[in-house]
Amino acid sequence: MFLLACPHCGPRSVDEFKYQGEVTRRPPERPTLRELTDYVYFRDNVAGVQREWWYHGTGCGLWFVAERDTRTNEVLRTEIPEPSRGRTPAPVEAAVPDTPAV
Amino acid sequence: MRIAPQPGERIDRRKPFTFEYDGAKITGFEGDTIGSALYAAGRRVFSRSFKYHRPRGLLCCSGDCPNCMMTVDGVPNVRLCVEPVRDGAVVRAQNVLGSLDRDLLSITDKIGGPFTPVGFYYRTMIRPRRLWPLYEKFLRNVAGLGKIGENGTHRRYDTEHRRVDVLVIGGGRAGREAAARAEGDVLLVDEHGGGGALKGRALGIYEGGLVPVDAGDVLYRFRAERIVVATGGIEQPLVFPGNDLVGVMLPNGVRRLTRDWSIKPGERAVVVTADDAGLEAAGDLRAVGTEVARVVDLRSERIVQLAAVGKRGRLSAVLVDGEAVDCDVLVMSGGRQPAYSLLAQAGARVEYEPRRGIFVPTELPENVEAVGSAAGDLEGAAVPAASYDGGDGKCFVCICEDVTEKDVKRALAEGFDSIELAKRYTTATMGPCQGRLCHLQSIRMLARETETDEAAIGTTTARPPWGPVELGLLAGRHYEAMKRSPLHFRHEEAGATMMWTGAWRRPFAYGDPAAEVRAVHESLGVIDVSTLGKIIVEGPDAAELLERLYPNRFADLAVGRIRYGVLTTDGGRIMDDGTVARLGDDLFYVTTTSTGSESVCEWFEWWNAVWGYDAEIVNVTGALAAVNLAGPQAREALGALTDADVSNDALKYLDAKEITVAGVPCLALRIGFVGELGYELHCAASAGEHLWDALVARGAVPFGLEPQRVLRLEKAHVIVGQDTDSESNLLSAGMPWIVKEKPDFVGKWAVELVEERGIRERLVGFTMDGGLLPPEGAQVVENGKSTGRVTSSRVSEQVGKVIGLAWVRPERADDGTRLSIRIAGADHPATVTLAPFYDAEGAKLRS
Amino acid sequence: MKDIFRVSRMWRPRGELKKRYDVVVIGGGSHGLATAYYLAKNHGVKDVAVLEKSYIGSGASGRNTTIIRSNYRTPEGAAFYSRSVKLYEQLSADLDFNLMFSQHGHLTLAHSERAMVTMQERAEVNQLLGIDSRVVYPEEIARLCPQINLGPRQTWPIQGALYHAPGGIIRHDAVVWGLARGADRAGVEIHPYTEVTGIERTSGRATAVETNRGRVEADVVVSAVAGWSTLVCGLAGVRLPITTHILQAFVTEPVKPFLDVIIVSAQMHVYVSQTDRGEFLIGAEIEPYTTYKSIGTFPFLEYSARHTLELFPQLERLRVLRTWTGLCDLSPDYSPILGRTEVENFHVSAGWGTYGFKAAPIVGTTLAKLVATGETPDLIAPFALERFHTDELVSELAAAAVSH
Repeated sequence: MFLLACPHCGPRSVDEFKYQGEVTRRPPERPTLRELTDYVYFRDNVAGVQREWWYHGTGCGLWFVAERDTRTNEVLRTEIPEPSRGRTPAPVEAAVPDTPAV
Repeated sequence: MRIAPQPGERIDRRKPFTFEYDGAKITGFEGDTIGSALYAAGRRVFSRSFKYHRPRGLLCCSGDCPNCMMTVDGVPNVRLCVEPVRDGAVVRAQNVLGSLDRDLLSITDKIGGPFTPVGFYYRTMIRPRRLWPLYEKFLRNVAGLGKIGENGTHRRYDTEHRRVDVLVIGGGRAGREAAARAEGDVLLVDEHGGGGALKGRALGIYEGGLVPVDAGDVLYRFRAERIVVATGGIEQPLVFPGNDLVGVMLPNGVRRLTRDWSIKPGERAVVVTADDAGLEAAGDLRAVGTEVARVVDLRSERIVQLAAVGKRGRLSAVLVDGEAVDCDVLVMSGGRQPAYSLLAQAGARVEYEPRRGIFVPTELPENVEAVGSAAGDLEGAAVPAASYDGGDGKCFVCICEDVTEKDVKRALAEGFDSIELAKRYTTATMGPCQGRLCHLQSIRMLARETETDEAAIGTTTARPPWGPVELGLLAGRHYEAMKRSPLHFRHEEAGATMMWTGAWRRPFAYGDPAAEVRAVHESLGVIDVSTLGKIIVEGPDAAELLERLYPNRFADLAVGRIRYGVLTTDGGRIMDDGTVARLGDDLFYVTTTSTGSESVCEWFEWWNAVWGYDAEIVNVTGALAAVNLAGPQAREALGALTDADVSNDALKYLDAKEITVAGVPCLALRIGFVGELGYELHCAASAGEHLWDALVARGAVPFGLEPQRVLRLEKAHVIVGQDTDSESNLLSAGMPWIVKEKPDFVGKWAVELVEERGIRERLVGFTMDGGLLPPEGAQVVENGKSTGRVTSSRVSEQVGKVIGLAWVRPERADDGTRLSIRIAGADHPATVTLAPFYDAEGAKLRS
Repeated sequence: MKDIFRVSRMWRPRGELKKRYDVVVIGGGSHGLATAYYLAKNHGVKDVAVLEKSYIGSGASGRNTTIIRSNYRTPEGAAFYSRSVKLYEQLSADLDFNLMFSQHGHLTLAHSERAMVTMQERAEVNQLLGIDSRVVYPEEIARLCPQINLGPRQTWPIQGALYHAPGGIIRHDAVVWGLARGADRAGVEIHPYTEVTGIERTSGRATAVETNRGRVEADVVVSAVAGWSTLVCGLAGVRLPITTHILQAFVTEPVKPFLDVIIVSAQMHVYVSQTDRGEFLIGAEIEPYTTYKSIGTFPFLEYSARHTLELFPQLERLRVLRTWTGLCDLSPDYSPILGRTEVENFHVSAGWGTYGFKAAPIVGTTLAKLVATGETPDLIAPFALERFHTDELVSELAAAAVSH
């Protein structure tokens, strides 16, 4: 029940937010299996300051990053992260599959 | 033993209340507690102790100790000393075999002692193992205090959220002064109320300055900028033989009996005190006519020997250094210990101060302040001995759990030499007083016995709540979230059997599910699919966002067309599925599974935050109703209700079009989850019932979830979360066709790596050779070992077989492979069928 | 019986740390002590030191809700925990210490058709392995637990349950103490208040540990520290797929026997049992965020109380006495990480989530065997850390969550 400052809404009780884990680095290009599993499963899980994702689910719906000390739950800062701006090249192929539809 | 009215008494003798105690009518006055009324009526024994069933009487009169717990109106463990009298209350003794005065289980006190030393149960009843359940039953029956009543009372409890600048906890002098000093919006909370204080008990100081307050039937959740703790001190008992006898009291017990309730506690008293509280109690006793035969002030008189002796558990004399003094009341006062629990829970450190022999809070968190006795502002008490000798009576360290000095010594001798281990082994401090009257005593004794000091022993962790709190109050009003579709009442009116799917209530079927299946195949059916998640994705980058979220293509999707999509994680696992319709260059309409709308919306927004695309994501699930009109007559029925051209050329399979149906603007999606010609019509929730009625009036037969499951299974359509689990990926689930060549999408690398390594299992369709229906969850077996599992199974009239989906080893996944499925202990043959069981080419959908 | 008249020490007082042991076990909880106990008992390896940073059983071993069961979803998990239950059944006699294992049965409630399928699947998996586990319906639930609210005032009607007769509760501290006594008597040294601060490696092999009481060499080092696994394994350079979360529980005031079976509702995130002392012991799910701060939250009490009263409205006036919090390691597939690591002779027991205590004796026997023989027992091969590198998970989760 510690407080988190949503960059939009200000300090709110943690139960308004959804936690989405520590900020990880998505491999910029095709990883090996070991690199992929390291990204998908392995975590620093630090006892100290951690950068982590939060979602203001019952509030404004903002995704933001917090720096929190996992030993004390003290939230040092919160911020709207810079997007990675990585754009995908235009699609090259068009195909209409015979898909089962819901 | 009520004395004449005196100034300051808390009772109103003009207002009598009568309650029942073990069959007798007892009368008290307004201001009395049930405990004081019983005491005034001559009752001295209030309970039997937990283990030895020793008689116990009023001790603290502050609601802390276990001595006056009885069952009131069916509610067990009510502390009578603080329970106000009320007319008609029914009060019963608990944990006795017989009566309070003659409890047959008190045999354990007389002969049980040597046989039941601390932790005896760990060392006995081990062999033979088959007898343990019998022993255990006996142990369980003798343990515990009151009994749970048959029914809940269904009291109404409420929760209130409040904000204040300053919250002062404790309405004693220090608390009142702190409240008067404080600026801004100040609130004072006190267990007894009065003086403008809110009557309630603070249960803890939680992170973020949250202080829940128990006010009986209202739970206040305070958030305060600053919290001032003025919880005072707790009067401490002394440890000596016979210290639990009926008639041994703490000063507050005497103070309340004499001053508040005008009761004479006894005829002759002895006072042994480490501080002024005992001397004040001596004065109180004299004022009501009790003779005070002896006062031992531990600050000036050093005694070695102290023991109380009694008859039938009642105090008859006190031995002080060889001198026996007859008495029926003994006031013991071991000084006061700061009530620091709330502070410790808030994060304060607790330090032992040898000079005063108490633990005091230090290093308070920033927004918390302590004042008065709670802060350690206590003077003038002697440090009592860890225990006094003087007799062979039991010498209790913890009265809740009947832990004696001998038990603590034995625990130490056995190697339980830290406070935490000794606490767990002896169970001292783990009873209803929550350590208030035994924590310090336990530490003192450990320090003495291990020849260290109290600081080295340390304290145990403070564990909230500060004061026992009812489950009902914590629970608040009875409610749980539930979702109803906009068409919910139509289903109820039609007599549908409702079922629970996540938070949604949905129709299982309206009558015979098989008939509903037939209606869809042969003529026309309609199902409420309002529970589907519905998300609008709009903006210049909307197409690109979806392109990167889904394994298949969306950038090239033509306006007015629909594509099926499956979302995966970067680990390659299937998350959710649904359709994506392009309604404009920058506008997409996405449906998700019924349970997936929120998580998919979060997922979209998350990646959008990561990538920074210019796209808006709006969850419109609750705003829209949706129905699926399906069956060979669907086009005809729809055509009759709309002016729009719904011919197969104008509204093809996988077309999306905005049309007006029965006067209701709808988004029509031509898709076919159930395998027949079908149109999903999405409209404003408020128009849903009108649309539904129009369709039903045109002859559409409402069908429920169960027939839909049969229909979709005939098409081998997967239900995410039922046919897939947390390990399923696109290749193992048999959807390699959905993965398109493109530079990136969430889950791309995982799929590629799975492709390289091969899959571990594969989802396939199967038909049973016989007519037996395997339950969903049945295992596919080889040589008696599980090698797969059935995720869906139904009897299909249309196919004429039992059909299903199952996970099998990839080596067993080829069309026509024979499988064994374990049903009720026997193996039954089945055959892998990879093509859909019904209309494999999808001709019906396109017709 | 004569035992109760004689005061005998459970274990020797803490002695000096030697310079070297054959085996150093980090963590004096149920897993560490069981490993040491079985090393001595089954393999004659007695030159063992158990290093505990606080008092024995101070972590998850003394904070769990003491439920023992084997009705898991995966064949790997069910087979493993089934051996554990069998060992637990014998453990009181083996240790000559009454662990008060009361097998009154375990009911996992299903509140939806979907949940019923999950129960069915578990029952089928369990039955193939000879585990007493089956799906029961409301009539039988009413017989097994007459006190439970089967309607009509329910938000989540009980459609059925998975019934597991051998499931039960045990006195958790007694397990720790009994194992500690057994290990101590066999010659194992137990060192409370001895914190490991470093792990030395020489050419990819663990060779010694640094502690607050000095350096200790060892042929084999075992980490058995729930909650802190990431940090301890990090000392050895081993990275884990684990996050640390708090788990909370509470007890009520003691009352006379009311409930014999254990009731679990996954839908409502609550489990309820009544101890031999008469207290109701109620636990919940882990908190979703990672933290090493072992402090309770108030909403936990509120929703646990609400859900408990959904099942047992009679308990409305019963009072909560004490709450506590422990740290859990959570693995991505809810299965443990057990056995070898990429550092030779550094073995690990971690990632147990909320299941660790149930596995103590089987962890002890299998890890002891690994340490003594160098061979990984078949039973624990599926739980190797390596599975997260090769992406071959053993998922106790039925359906995927969004992110993990």
